[in-house]
Amino acid sequence: MLTFYRHLLRIYPSAYRANFSEEINAVFSSLEADIAASGLMVRLRFYARESSGLLLGAVSEHWHQFSVRRFKMSTEFRFPKTTWVLMTLILGGVVVAIEKGEAISNSLAFANPPVGPIHPGQHVLLAGILTLSVFFYALGAVAWIVLFALRRSGVHRLSETASQK
Amino acid sequence: MEPFPLTEPVLLILLSLAAQPRHGYSILKDVEQMSDGRVLLSTGTLYGALRRLLEDDWIERLDQKNTSRGRQAYRLTPRGRKNLQFEVDRLKHLTRLANLRVALKEA
Repeated sequence: MLTFYRHLLRIYPSAYRANFSEEINAVFSSLEADIAASGLMVRLRFYARESSGLLLGAVSEHWHQFSVRRFKMSTEFRFPKTTWVLMTLILGGVVVAIEKGEAISNSLAFANPPVGPIHPGQHVLLAGILTLSVFFYALGAVAWIVLFALRRSGVHRLSETASQK
Repeated sequence: MEPFPLTEPVLLILLSLAAQPRHGYSILKDVEQMSDGRVLLSTGTLYGALRRLLEDDWIERLDQKNTSRGRQAYRLTPRGRKNLQFEVDRLKHLTRLANLRVALKEA
């Protein structure tokens, strides 16, 4: 039963196992020894209680780990003060540029030439940009696959080296 | 943080550690004895509660040399003792109030 119990413990998060699994195993062994001479019903109740406690505990611990991670993600990421200053300066610059643009546009309201029609060459340019984007995306994907395969084979070779020692 | 009022298992675990440091098996047996066999904690439940109490700094692991990790003892921290005292006072007040109300009804 202890072996089964140890297997059940694997459903707990690894950090929890590292902290408590030895203790939990030791306590379970002691409790199991206590009821070894008891009747079948007592032992069945004991195993049912221990198994359900372990399963519910695992769910609770996973939820705890998940909520801790989520909490950390929301608190650890903070903009430094310099970023806030720079962002405010950039925003100010953008607002000033828009104001200037509007003023120039108003002063030359009737001097702007009409836009269009779009020259056929501009359509080719757009298609070319899209083609290049797809090409570089595909190139990046192939490079990633090659690197991933190299990493996998490297890890495999390393594990073989370790086992030969 | 353990919410107030404490659940019965958590209260019994804290009461068990109030008198002396104990390891997991000893806590389970003491809780069973204190509750006259009514509260039977599973090992998973006990260590879930101990993990929370450790994180909240209500209890701490006792540094014991020549002790295997399987028999790690725990004790109350000053914070844990203060919170336990708060809960005991709350229960005392509740019991006193309950006695008064029951006595009024009987009169």
